[in-house]
Amino acid sequence: MAKLYVEAVPPADMNKNTEWFMYPGVWTTYILILFFSWLLVLSVLGCSPGMAWTIVNLFHFAITYHFFHWKKGTPFADDQGMYNTLTWWEQMDNGKQLTRNRKFLVVVPVVLYLIASHTTDYQHPMLFLNTLAVMVLVVAKLPNMHKVRIFGINAGN
Amino acid sequence: MVRLPYTTALTTLFSYGLLFAFGQLRDLFRKLLDWFRSKDLKGYAPICLGLEDFYVRRLYLRIQDCFGRPIASAPDAWIDVVERYSNDNNKTLHRTSNSTKCLNLGSYNYLGFAAADEYCTPRVIESLKKYSPSTCSVRVDGGTTQLHAELEELVARFVGKPAAVLFGMGYVTNSAIIPCLIGKGGLLISDSLNHNSIVNGARGSGATVRVFQHNSPSHLEEVLREQIAEGQPRTHRPWKKIIVIVEGIYSMEGELCKLPEIIAVCKKYKAYTYLDEAHSIGAIGKSGRGVCELLGVDPADVDIMMGTFTKSFGSCGGYIAASKEIIQYLKYTCPAHLYATSMSPPAVQQVISAIKVILGEDGSNRGAQKLARIRENSNFFRSELQKMGFEVLGDNDSPVMPIMLYNPAKIPAFSRECLRQNVAVVTVAFPATPLLLARARICISAAHTREDMIKGLEVISKVGDLVGIKYFPTEPPKLAKEAHKKRESSIVAERFCGCDIIGV
Repeated sequence: MAKLYVEAVPPADMNKNTEWFMYPGVWTTYILILFFSWLLVLSVLGCSPGMAWTIVNLFHFAITYHFFHWKKGTPFADDQGMYNTLTWWEQMDNGKQLTRNRKFLVVVPVVLYLIASHTTDYQHPMLFLNTLAVMVLVVAKLPNMHKVRIFGINAGN
Repeated sequence: MVRLPYTTALTTLFSYGLLFAFGQLRDLFRKLLDWFRSKDLKGYAPICLGLEDFYVRRLYLRIQDCFGRPIASAPDAWIDVVERYSNDNNKTLHRTSNSTKCLNLGSYNYLGFAAADEYCTPRVIESLKKYSPSTCSVRVDGGTTQLHAELEELVARFVGKPAAVLFGMGYVTNSAIIPCLIGKGGLLISDSLNHNSIVNGARGSGATVRVFQHNSPSHLEEVLREQIAEGQPRTHRPWKKIIVIVEGIYSMEGELCKLPEIIAVCKKYKAYTYLDEAHSIGAIGKSGRGVCELLGVDPADVDIMMGTFTKSFGSCGGYIAASKEIIQYLKYTCPAHLYATSMSPPAVQQVISAIKVILGEDGSNRGAQKLARIRENSNFFRSELQKMGFEVLGDNDSPVMPIMLYNPAKIPAFSRECLRQNVAVVTVAFPATPLLLARARICISAAHTREDMIKGLEVISKVGDLVGIKYFPTEPPKLAKEAHKKRESSIVAERFCGCDIIGV
């Protein structure tokens, strides 16, 4: 079997918390993790495919919201707390908006929403929960929301 | 530019994701279990936020036994490693009184001065008796002995600059000098893979710091043009001064800096250059004078040359070599000179003797032999590893060779299995290297004999098969010679082609 090689130029990003996202293979890994977790949910719970996609969508919402838009700072003390007021999403690509990585991360929840609502035939209550998830995630990723804290939620150190 | 198999990138990201998920789950359970325990801090703030040391607590501590292994002998070609055991899954480690003799592939002992040497050690012991282990004073008070003055002149002569100044610690040399050279209103442009001491010094100076893509003179030119055109942030006034900082050999990549091209770019835009030769001084170049000699750069073209005595000279401390005016200025302003205790006299004598051996001034040709041996050893080891199918970074002639591991689980597997077979290697992971690119770093020394290296190669090959890091196909023996010749000629061609980029 021919081995596929990729060439990687180490990116000149100083923030080690977000630099790993610029390497090849990240997008594919993300999509594969979503697909395999759908298979896992289907096999463990034995529900309909639509329910499984809804569950994957809601867990994806909870996890990505917590780690991208709630948790602030970096998991190491090396950078002396430079990014302690910025969430992971705000640290990405050094704060530059509308880069390729950011656009990809906005498209993923929307595609998940479309798949989940299509496979559940647009029935309530799944449709309501899915719509809520995608609206919160997309609004949080808009360029106008950079460093915005609504009503001071999550503004503390 | 690193090449890695695509499936390896996917599995590495997935493994890190899994480790991260488990770490977060454990933290969550710890928070739940400690919910009702009273956190009586008596009004004081917590020392660190729970998130800051997540990496250390949940990832590093799991494989803690691969790092920080205590040794019980001088770091020669063979080294005694103390055995340790742990009762609580690597959270705490306890030393035993046993040690195993292992082949040392991890120490920066490039010329073999780390163990007892027939010329250096008697003189060091003599100076220990005469000057005592410490001067107990700072350089400006009573801490400058004859040895210090002699070494400063000798270092300046060795490196090819008019004057030099010494410091007691290599890390401090960078982090205390850079703030003296530049301040607010200045611009520092540093290579993206520079050492932590340079990053620390740059942050402490207050100057604006910009980073250029590793070893890429074209990107350096782009950054310089953009920054000079824009000027200082917000006021857009011109920069007070611009210093470009590069290293001779990058310790995590093993590759040489593209010095001639970078110097040409800096001269074109009138920026100063600062060269950190920590790993290259004494180890490369025909007479050991470092990367300038190897690449044919005149030392007068580099404004400030920095180096350390820890790697090739078997001592401790660092130096800065520059013009007489700069050195005099540094002696009046650098806190490491004014307030720090001076270098220990036996350590100074060790460096003096080592430089004399390298230059041949001790009356023998051991210096030239050592330099030839380290070059042969590095080239032999590197080509053998590449023939076996490992992915080895670094240029020819460089004594540092990282072997790529990538997956986080292969780091402890490689390290522990090698130790079991009596080979001591150093493995490096995130955050010292980028996330995907974990590696085992081999440092070859002139003290390694051919038998030592063959034994090391056998063990690494066996362990590499077990762990699965032979990412490239192995070369059959008869094709190897042609490929070797092709590789050498392509590296020479690359070095000459670099000048085309900037129109020199």
